[in-house]
Amino acid sequence: MSPESSAEQRLRAPTMAGPTTNRAHFQAELQELELRALGGLDLVVEQLDRVLEALEHQDVELAQMVITDDDRIDGRYLEVHQGILSLLARQAPVAGDLRLVAALLHVIMHVERMGDQCVNIAKLIPLTGHQPPVREELLSSLSRMGGYARSEVIESKQAFAARDVAQAEDLVRQDREINRINREIFRLAIEVGDDPDVREWAMTMVLVARALERVGDNAVDIGEQVAFVVTGLFSEFAEGAVVPVPSPATGA
Amino acid sequence: MTSDGPTSGTTDVVSDQRTTGSLPDAVASSPAPVSSPIAPATGHTVRLEGLRAFYGSAEQVKGIDLDFEANHVTAIIGPSGCGKSTMVRCINRMHEEIPGAHAEGRVLLDDVDLYGPSVDIVAVRRAVGMVFQKPNPFPTMSIFDNVASGLRLSGGKRRGLQDSVESALRGAGLWEEVKDRLNEPGLGLSGGQQQRLCIARSLAVQPEVLLMDEPCSALDPIATLKIEELIGELKQRVTIVIVTHNMQQAGRVADRTAFMLSGDLVEVGPTQEIFTNPRDSRTEEYVTGKFG
Amino acid sequence: MAAPTVSESLGRFAPSPARRRKDRAARTTILVATLVALVPLAFILYFLLSKGLSAWFTSGFFTTDPTGNTFFAHSSIGGIKSAILGTIEMVALASVISIPLGVGVALWLVEYGRGTIYANVVRFFVDVLTGVPSIIFGLFIYIVLIVGTGSSYAGYKGALALSLLMLPIVIRSAEVILLLIPDSLRESALALGAPRWKVIFSVVLPTALPGMLTGMLLAVARAAGETAPLLFTAAATNSTTFNLGGFMNSLPVQIYNDVTSPTPSVVNRAWGAALTLVALIFLLNLVARLVSRRSRLR
Repeated sequence: MSPESSAEQRLRAPTMAGPTTNRAHFQAELQELELRALGGLDLVVEQLDRVLEALEHQDVELAQMVITDDDRIDGRYLEVHQGILSLLARQAPVAGDLRLVAALLHVIMHVERMGDQCVNIAKLIPLTGHQPPVREELLSSLSRMGGYARSEVIESKQAFAARDVAQAEDLVRQDREINRINREIFRLAIEVGDDPDVREWAMTMVLVARALERVGDNAVDIGEQVAFVVTGLFSEFAEGAVVPVPSPATGA
Repeated sequence: MTSDGPTSGTTDVVSDQRTTGSLPDAVASSPAPVSSPIAPATGHTVRLEGLRAFYGSAEQVKGIDLDFEANHVTAIIGPSGCGKSTMVRCINRMHEEIPGAHAEGRVLLDDVDLYGPSVDIVAVRRAVGMVFQKPNPFPTMSIFDNVASGLRLSGGKRRGLQDSVESALRGAGLWEEVKDRLNEPGLGLSGGQQQRLCIARSLAVQPEVLLMDEPCSALDPIATLKIEELIGELKQRVTIVIVTHNMQQAGRVADRTAFMLSGDLVEVGPTQEIFTNPRDSRTEEYVTGKFG
Repeated sequence: MAAPTVSESLGRFAPSPARRRKDRAARTTILVATLVALVPLAFILYFLLSKGLSAWFTSGFFTTDPTGNTFFAHSSIGGIKSAILGTIEMVALASVISIPLGVGVALWLVEYGRGTIYANVVRFFVDVLTGVPSIIFGLFIYIVLIVGTGSSYAGYKGALALSLLMLPIVIRSAEVILLLIPDSLRESALALGAPRWKVIFSVVLPTALPGMLTGMLLAVARAAGETAPLLFTAAATNSTTFNLGGFMNSLPVQIYNDVTSPTPSVVNRAWGAALTLVALIFLLNLVARLVSRRSRLR
């Protein structure tokens, strides 16, 4: 019997002895909403894994599955969006709760976009034909890129759940790697040669790389939301430097 | 808590400069907040310095330093019994009307200490008006007499009563509704109208500051919204301090919000900040409803 | 099979017979108590009317003074004019003295002295005074103003005794009404910048007046009907006089003197006087009620 996580403990319905804090019901709702939103990131990781495998093995059927399963992510988006509206209308959250709700809206939007990027990649796979000319170097770079993207998504979820700003900022470092590989892939594609079939394939791979890079960016954006929830300030985690942006919230 | 002067009791940063927290690079100190537009020449400020209020020997308000900006609305929020009503009643010196109650410290209205040794209390109350929680027009008086009562009772000028009454009723947004029945009893109006009548009554003596002690808690939602709209207009004429239990109301009407707890001022700042990113964890807990 | 009764069909909402019985018993008891209380009242009114009305219609009942002639049936015995006027004069003077004084004390108790020990002491003694038998007030005035100064009975001395009688009643009832006025009214007047005395006279008193009227009426009615104090202070005289410095007749004393007479017409006059007294009080009540209703509606 696994020990209950603290989140699950909090979600357990209060006994007839009565709630122990004010607004226990609201807090439970908020936590549930967060779990559902962050759960969307798990769905993204699933999609990412599958699409990367499809890419590696040129598995068109697997790619098709990814495309149809995007409905799950879209459904999750609608669910969380509705939950946010409901919470705002009924519970009038303020301060930290309000920032969390606003952040969850951002998070679920990024989840949805990441899902769309996975679909974009999946759609590119059949274009390469059944026996595409493959350059191993490119493929392995893509594979590494995929790995980084995957770990960024997982870590963004962890950072958010734990409200860990340091971990969120670390995402920038990983994203730099993705950007570096992206440039490398671009260079490799240029140098791929004159064969039109190969060139076509290489350009398709450039598009795949770009989609993966977008996934990374979305994960970094989620990291920025972590900082916002914790500090109340919105900062851009720009490449190489972290620069705070004066938000309209300060000042009279 | 040691008592080492008027600031004892305020445990948290009250000034507007943001402190740099222990958070990493992401958070640098933000620029100083945009200063409010220059108050019109007729604006009146109130400043509390080391205000303490007692019921007998029990200290209910424990040393408060607080500024109320001219022609702004400042809301005071806090749990029951935190001393917000007591503090506000010190501003127009109503607190000392309670047997055994007294106050210490300074209350400055435009640099005049209202607790100064030879200050006329009647003049203080003409300058600082008050609207109470339960609408209470004088039962034996007509609408006209109610509004005029402020002028008559405080010995104001007798000439131009008609004009003063009309101007006050217009200011309270009530003129159109009652102009044809000024001689009817004040109690014949609805709850919301009665409260606006009380506001008109206070406005007739042309106060510089208007204190409102939970003015809408006895009213229905529509009447409440009408009065909130009114407050938004009134602040151009008077400086307004409003005590409220209703945080959404503070959010709607107040420019600045102060949070009090157990007689101390915990935090004060622009309303938007208090409700999106309060600095003190006690404020955060109170506005999110975790206690109180 | 018989149709289910109402109780059976209602299930747990059926009225319980035991409770209905208790309810009925309670209502009957209270009704009986009310009737028992009303019966003597009805009897009094009946007697007053049946015995007094005939006196009212004797000629000159209201317009002539009693002649003092009580033994000879064929000589005129007169009416009760001086008694009526005397009562009105003395009660009016007593009211003029006791009502402002009494309201003043009540105002002090409620507006200035509330909560102080001194106020509690005063209130205690006022309560004691409401229970003091009226003859004591008469005796007090007698000893101080008649025996003490060596002077004789006078109408104003009777009025003084009556005012002492009225004072505690006025104070008590005025205080009750003043306490009923919500403090929020005083607060809002104060907050407008009114000095405390203005708050009292411009806001509190006008609001309290209709309620206080009833208390004042009670005091007046009580004073109008008291015999004992007047026996030692105003004595009685047959002729109508407006000189409060001399003897003065009054209705209660007139009744007291007449009722034991062997002459039936004199006894009859006593009943007529009693009915007059009650009618006077009734009239006062009516007037006060009309006044208070008008002031409330204004």
